[in-house]
Amino acid sequence: MAKTLSLYVERNTFIHRVDSINKILYVLVSVAIPLILPYKFVAVLLILISISFLLLAKVMRRVIPLIEFSVIILLSIVIIQGLFHAGNKTVAFHIARITFYKEGLSYAFTLSMRVINILLAFAILVLTTKPSELIEALVKKGLSPRFGYVLSSALQIIPQMMSAVGSIMDAQRSRGLETEGNLAVRIRAFFPLIGPVVMGSLIETRERAMALEVRAFNSREKKTFLNERQNLRSDNVIRLILFSILSLSIVLRVLL
Amino acid sequence: MKKIIVENLKYRYPLSENLALKGISFEVEGGEFIGIIGRNLAGKSTLCQALVGLVPHFYKGAYSGNVEISGMNVLENNISELSKKIGIVFQNPFTQITAAKLTVYEEIAFGLENMGIEIKETIRRIEYVLHLLDLEKYKDRNPFELSGGQMQRLAIASIIAMKPEIIVLDEPTSQLDPQGSEEVFKAIQSLSREGITIMMVEQKIEKIAQYADRVMLMSDGEVVDFDVPQKIFLRDDLLNYGVQAPVFTRVCRSLNIKNKNTGLYPVTLDEAYELMVRHEQNRS
Amino acid sequence: MNKRRLWSFSFTTATLVLIPAAIGINYIGKLFAGVLKLPLWLDSIGTALASMLSGPVVGAISGAINNIIYGLTMDPISFVYALTSIAIGITVGIIAYNGRINTLWKSIIAGVVVAIVAAIVSTPLNVIFWGGQTGNVWGDALYAYLIAHAVPVWIASFLDEIVVDFPDKIATMIIAFLIFKGLPRKLILLYQSGETIEKLD
Repeated sequence: MAKTLSLYVERNTFIHRVDSINKILYVLVSVAIPLILPYKFVAVLLILISISFLLLAKVMRRVIPLIEFSVIILLSIVIIQGLFHAGNKTVAFHIARITFYKEGLSYAFTLSMRVINILLAFAILVLTTKPSELIEALVKKGLSPRFGYVLSSALQIIPQMMSAVGSIMDAQRSRGLETEGNLAVRIRAFFPLIGPVVMGSLIETRERAMALEVRAFNSREKKTFLNERQNLRSDNVIRLILFSILSLSIVLRVLL
Repeated sequence: MKKIIVENLKYRYPLSENLALKGISFEVEGGEFIGIIGRNLAGKSTLCQALVGLVPHFYKGAYSGNVEISGMNVLENNISELSKKIGIVFQNPFTQITAAKLTVYEEIAFGLENMGIEIKETIRRIEYVLHLLDLEKYKDRNPFELSGGQMQRLAIASIIAMKPEIIVLDEPTSQLDPQGSEEVFKAIQSLSREGITIMMVEQKIEKIAQYADRVMLMSDGEVVDFDVPQKIFLRDDLLNYGVQAPVFTRVCRSLNIKNKNTGLYPVTLDEAYELMVRHEQNRS
Repeated sequence: MNKRRLWSFSFTTATLVLIPAAIGINYIGKLFAGVLKLPLWLDSIGTALASMLSGPVVGAISGAINNIIYGLTMDPISFVYALTSIAIGITVGIIAYNGRINTLWKSIIAGVVVAIVAAIVSTPLNVIFWGGQTGNVWGDALYAYLIAHAVPVWIASFLDEIVVDFPDKIATMIIAFLIFKGLPRKLILLYQSGETIEKLD
């Protein structure tokens, strides 16, 4: 069960071919604009733009599990703020005998749009970019290759360790070990099983570090890349558009 | 030309009281196959690591003496520089996978990318080692999906791709099943045929007897003896060092079957077989 | 023997390899808490161990990368909580460097300190992104109660966070301490010994 940790969805679309650095810039711009122009319709507009990109990339269905967790919290925010927000004055509506207020709901709406906007912009990045390409792009832009290594190896080592623990847990459960019942019982049942995996992973760091050292990990030569991505002419065009939009929003902010 | 020169090498690990290596000296010629034997904690692994520069650069600690690898001084050069001349393969195949690459092909490229080898040359070397270590059909696999023997061959391939003149093998088969071990030993033989100088620590004494030109017997941080296998395995005190002579040697010894030309007992199966057949013929 | 400096920014290969392992341990802790339905997160055991082995800088980086990876693969909002993880890494690193995590009791006290630091850093983030909530049922119930009784958002949010952080960080530090105690000396030395080679004779 060797997998790399990634949400990448393989599709052949224009969005997938966009340079990963541009996708990162897109995230930064979409996070920055609502802060520069704090109007509700700006956030909504950005959300609509991100949704259309996700549709173009044919990955919209994969967005749901990614935002599920946050949406649940957002719903609880709508309820708690709608009921209890400090500035609540104007009654919005009643459900049974419970009263929701406009101020709280409006605040919850602003928060929700802010969070969903960030989530969708990220979704474009993570669903349409191979992690290995993203990391190599960052290294070519000046990220230390040694830290590039840390990122790539984390993406592979995490699933390795998780599957090791998963198979131990399954084996123990099939032997009828407790996952229910008293807290102390549950902890006592599993700690001795997971301890060795954790210890092992730390002890292995010594050998892996040596193995890397003898493969010129700390070499001062300029690194080469086996997979060389061809730069597309569209890369620069997209970058230019992103910077123009950002500058435009700053100008608007100053003028308005 | 001398590939390895070690002069009065002493080493102590950080915060340790005892020397792990207590003044070791020896020389190795290009193309030789050296076997290293001795019990646990005799200093075999420390010596291996001192040849590639992990001792002292990786561990730090206290060091004296002189180690030269193809004319390069180990203390004065960093591990990456040394890796152009000498490579090492460890016991555990799993920890030698970088874990940063998704295919066998890319895994082999890792060291070459770090060394800044141009892509055309990188590809040429990868194709060569894939063939040499019989890994062609796995080139697109994830390294973690390989068997132990395949993984260990990948570790060897990744080192050989860096074109070292010397390769150190520290018990390369101790964590493999019999089939995996055989695969790896076959691979090591093909390296030797390519003219690469080999230093191999190995518990499977019959394999040392079969491959080694010379055998180094270590004990307690010192080199006790360094000679041809027939002489090393003839020593009466071998068991004191936690080593048993190869089974063929012991059988021939109990039957008093010697090689007439050298006056020594055989150490490999082929040699023992031949002498036994001749012995039988002489008797009848 | 010389010891590694507290704020060492020189990353040896061993420290870099430690980071992915630490993050993997964080994930295992989280999985463990989920499967056993524990009311805790247990997702910073690895960060704590990295700090104990290799100091505050490596711990902080482990924490940051942990959240970056979690953000890229599970929940993008986790990115902003990288700040909390960094604070946890730094705090544990400083406490451990001064030799204050060597008994069970001291690891509990370290857990209390870490919980307070984590709550202080998390509260503003909770207020900006979630109006002060944490997403933990017990904490949020307390929060709703406090808000309904006109307690200021900042205080309500801090208390929401800390009721979860106290048990979680104490458990985390106890587990990290027990694991650390079982590690071979050779490994600990690799991370904590100095950076120079001595000359023999």
